[in-house]
Amino acid sequence: MKDRLKEFVNENREDFDVFEPRPELWQEICSELNAQSAQEQATRKEAKMISISFGERLNFSTDLLFMRVAATIVLLLACGLTLWMVKQNSPVSNNTMAAASEQVQLNQIAPELAEVEVYYTNQIKQKREELSDYDVKVLGLDEARSIDRELARLDSSYTQLKNQLYTTPNTDQVMGAMIQNLQIRIEVLNRQLEVLQKIEQIQKQDNTEPEYNETTTI
Amino acid sequence: MEKSTFQDVNAQVVQRCREGDNRAQYELYKLYSKAMFNVSMRITNDYAESEDVLQEAFMSAFKNLHSYKAEASFGSWLKRIVINASVNAIRKRRSELVPLEERIAGDIPDEEESDDTEWQVEKVRRAIQRLPDGYRVVLSLYLLEGFDHAEIAEILGISESTSKSQYSRARKKLLDIIKDSETMV
Repeated sequence: MKDRLKEFVNENREDFDVFEPRPELWQEICSELNAQSAQEQATRKEAKMISISFGERLNFSTDLLFMRVAATIVLLLACGLTLWMVKQNSPVSNNTMAAASEQVQLNQIAPELAEVEVYYTNQIKQKREELSDYDVKVLGLDEARSIDRELARLDSSYTQLKNQLYTTPNTDQVMGAMIQNLQIRIEVLNRQLEVLQKIEQIQKQDNTEPEYNETTTI
Repeated sequence: MEKSTFQDVNAQVVQRCREGDNRAQYELYKLYSKAMFNVSMRITNDYAESEDVLQEAFMSAFKNLHSYKAEASFGSWLKRIVINASVNAIRKRRSELVPLEERIAGDIPDEEESDDTEWQVEKVRRAIQRLPDGYRVVLSLYLLEGFDHAEIAEILGISESTSKSQYSRARKKLLDIIKDSETMV
């Protein structure tokens, strides 16, 4: 029974659609559609434009994003490489400074310094030996100690300068200061020698002079 | 088979509609407006209301065409929109769509339609039109739109058993109406 009604309806399905909308209805729908889309475009013009341009750029921007990422990676790599190279060039010498012999490093930084150093240290040594010939204490020179102090001061400032040589880029200036330091030392020693020589002369004269004096006084 | 080729034919038109092509929209309208109008007519039983529903449904369909995935045919997708719009239209009209639900579901005697009444489409159709809203909607959805009770329950927001009992009552009422009209004539 139920089936019969359903069957009947199914068989005549098409015939049940007897109504038709007014033919003008499409015109109404169409005009409203256009009005709506126009309104949408008017109200959402900016948003739509943005979304469209966004949509269009989306593909491009994905490419751009990829490019940006690639560029960033390249940039980072370049930075890293330069940093690494810089490290290789300067601080590596810093690191090996302790390990490698100073002389080798000095030869790299200031090749002429070794020669100069040898020359002056020999001179200083010589002068000192000459000085030690004089028995300073016997001569009663209290300033000898101050000279020693002065020489020690010069020596410490010299080592300071030498250390600066590894870190400062102005090796010429430091070198000049170092050579000056050595020269001052020699100068100091020379003065001392001169003083001692004069004292010796005076003492020699004193030794002979008392006679003269005596003779004169006598 | 037939359905898939049908869908393929529509796919191009649907795509053109998505791009806002008015002619493509008209093609779809021509193709579906009559069937959809009748679907709406059977639910609302009101010509002007059905036109409103049709207009609303097509507008909404064209607007939301992007959400139409070609899972179902365009026709069934559109039909669902039309049915929802129609049901909403009656809901606005009447607070309760299925007022008869609360009536005690008395035993509906299986009609032994012994006499092979030669139903006529026009008579049945007119009888359906004379059914009260609650009956008419369920009966139309079941008989003519081809939904099962689960689907009807979902569409109307009622239980499946309500849909079933509502249908059997509607069917009984329909046959009564047909009988009455016959006797009247």
